[in-house]
Amino acid sequence: MNEYEAKELLLKYEIAVPPNFVVESEDMLKNMKLEYPLVAKVLSDKILHKSDVGGVITGIRSREEALKAFKKIHNKFNTPVLFEEMISDGVELIVGVLRDHSFGHAIMFGLGGIFTEIYKDVTFRVLPINRIDAEDMLRDIKGRKILEGFRGIEVNKEAIINLLLKISKMVGEENIDGMDINPVMARRDGCVVLDAKIIK
Amino acid sequence: MFKKLFNPDSIAVIGASHDPQKIGYVVLKNLISHNYNGNVYPINPKGGEILGFKVYADLNDIPNVDLSVITLPAKLTVKVFDTVAKKSKFIIPIAGGFGELGEEGKNKEKYLLNTAKKHGARVIGPNTVGIFVPFSGVNTALIVPERSRFPEEGDLAFITQSGALGLLTMDYFAMYGVGFSAFVNLGNRVDVNENELLRYFGADEKSKGIIMYIESFYDGREFMNIAKEVSKKKPIVILKAGRTTRGGKAASLHTGALGGNDAVADGAFKQCGVVRAYNEIELVDYGRALAHGMPIYGKRIAVVTSAGGVGVVTTDYIESQLHGVNMQMAELSKETKRKIKEEIVPFASAENPVDMTAQASDNDYDGVLEALNRDPGVDAILVYALFQTPLISEKLVDIITKWARNGDKPIVVGIIGSDFALKMFHKFEKNSVPVYPTIERSVKALRILYERGKALRRVI
Repeated sequence: MNEYEAKELLLKYEIAVPPNFVVESEDMLKNMKLEYPLVAKVLSDKILHKSDVGGVITGIRSREEALKAFKKIHNKFNTPVLFEEMISDGVELIVGVLRDHSFGHAIMFGLGGIFTEIYKDVTFRVLPINRIDAEDMLRDIKGRKILEGFRGIEVNKEAIINLLLKISKMVGEENIDGMDINPVMARRDGCVVLDAKIIK
Repeated sequence: MFKKLFNPDSIAVIGASHDPQKIGYVVLKNLISHNYNGNVYPINPKGGEILGFKVYADLNDIPNVDLSVITLPAKLTVKVFDTVAKKSKFIIPIAGGFGELGEEGKNKEKYLLNTAKKHGARVIGPNTVGIFVPFSGVNTALIVPERSRFPEEGDLAFITQSGALGLLTMDYFAMYGVGFSAFVNLGNRVDVNENELLRYFGADEKSKGIIMYIESFYDGREFMNIAKEVSKKKPIVILKAGRTTRGGKAASLHTGALGGNDAVADGAFKQCGVVRAYNEIELVDYGRALAHGMPIYGKRIAVVTSAGGVGVVTTDYIESQLHGVNMQMAELSKETKRKIKEEIVPFASAENPVDMTAQASDNDYDGVLEALNRDPGVDAILVYALFQTPLISEKLVDIITKWARNGDKPIVVGIIGSDFALKMFHKFEKNSVPVYPTIERSVKALRILYERGKALRRVI
């Protein structure tokens, strides 16, 4: 499943993603009604780690820059390009799903970015989860204080709990093998999924 | 369901031996030394007599039995299995040389299972040390009695995937007078698995707590469902070893990589109220704390000691996050301190930790425990029973036991010392008071009782 399809699936479960637009050819750009700045991403279910291969361009501030970004990505990968409104404020979270060989589907929650990469500050629960499980997960991680708000950033914990419950519902109803939504931006007004990889 | 396995009216030993080095001899010897009083039928084509038991040359010469222990090698086990299965409710094939050796062994296991099913018998193992049940005297384990000890009857049920680790752990804790209701080694688990046993011990009145050593779950989902129900009434502690190996498509995701160790099992245990231990000492320590102690519903601990240093180290262990359990020393009320001052000598401390000094007497302990019991700012009490000073007597065991049984606050006891301390340790253990031989282990017991309190309060 490519990123656009993954995000459509998330939207079906009322999980917020940034406004986006898929561009397959140059002339489609004139129909794009997104607010700058934008990010452009290679759209392919074959490429899991897009930025590693130069498939992501950020900070696009005009139609001209958008066209340049489209050409660059399209020429390199020969795929459609996903444009999205850029969101950069909030606390980065990671939420994932895997299939464990003894317990079956499990959900992971943690702080994103370096907290995941270096500290591996994540916690798991077997799906489906209930509200108490979700609340426990937020308390489980070592960096839980960050969710209380820091450096002026406010986080809506209720929205994170709801996000975990929505993912739980989604895995129960859809045929999903594994999933990374990373990062999710947790903000005062809710959570927005910036990148999603779903494997069926 | 497993009643006649743990308390069989009759046992056949297939492969009974005259050679004291052989398991077929040791099993019979164990039955005698543990006072098993059912019917015993040793089977050996040579006939004769072993340890006073009449030996039967042919299985067909004996009536049906509740339990058959097969002490023959794998090949012979397979050969006699059909006849054994016809005659028995439960079968324990001791021998290794089955599924752990590969495809051929796996086929042998399939044969055992199918044959047992055909005759309606149940199988523990193969490749197992079998079971040890103190109250009924059934013991199929091969260990040298002169160099090891079997525990007495108690209230912990022990399910283990490793026979050796299980026996070593029981040998160690037998020294402290810790008892068990039953011990089962799953072995290669062709038939009876941990989930059925968990359900059985969950309903077993002799078992107040269940401890498990598990390397891999037979069915993790089923385990969670059963554990969720059982842990509402009875504590379950698991020593889960071994990493889950992950492969497949999801391994390319972050989530797959981060779930590579047993992080999922960790979450699963939290969801079903199971307490996790990380070594064999914690496994039994936590099991005893939860089976014998009261759950703790807050973090504020009062410490009573007659040795100042013990109080100081305990305080560090209670409060430290890094080398401790991240709980708190209780702030004692004015009234509590006033009452404590009446009990102790003038130079002793009525602050927490309450240090009664080497001048402490049995009665001082009684008064201090009474005062702490009334203090609403105290969630639990850790009391050190240190028998090395002159004014302390064996009566202290009764005084602390009284407060542990009748008081409102959960109590954990710490005992430090050698032979005499160990003797007193046994007394507390007999009284089912949670007691530990080191500062660290005492404090960790507090933490686990607190976790239990949290789990019970959480709707599970």
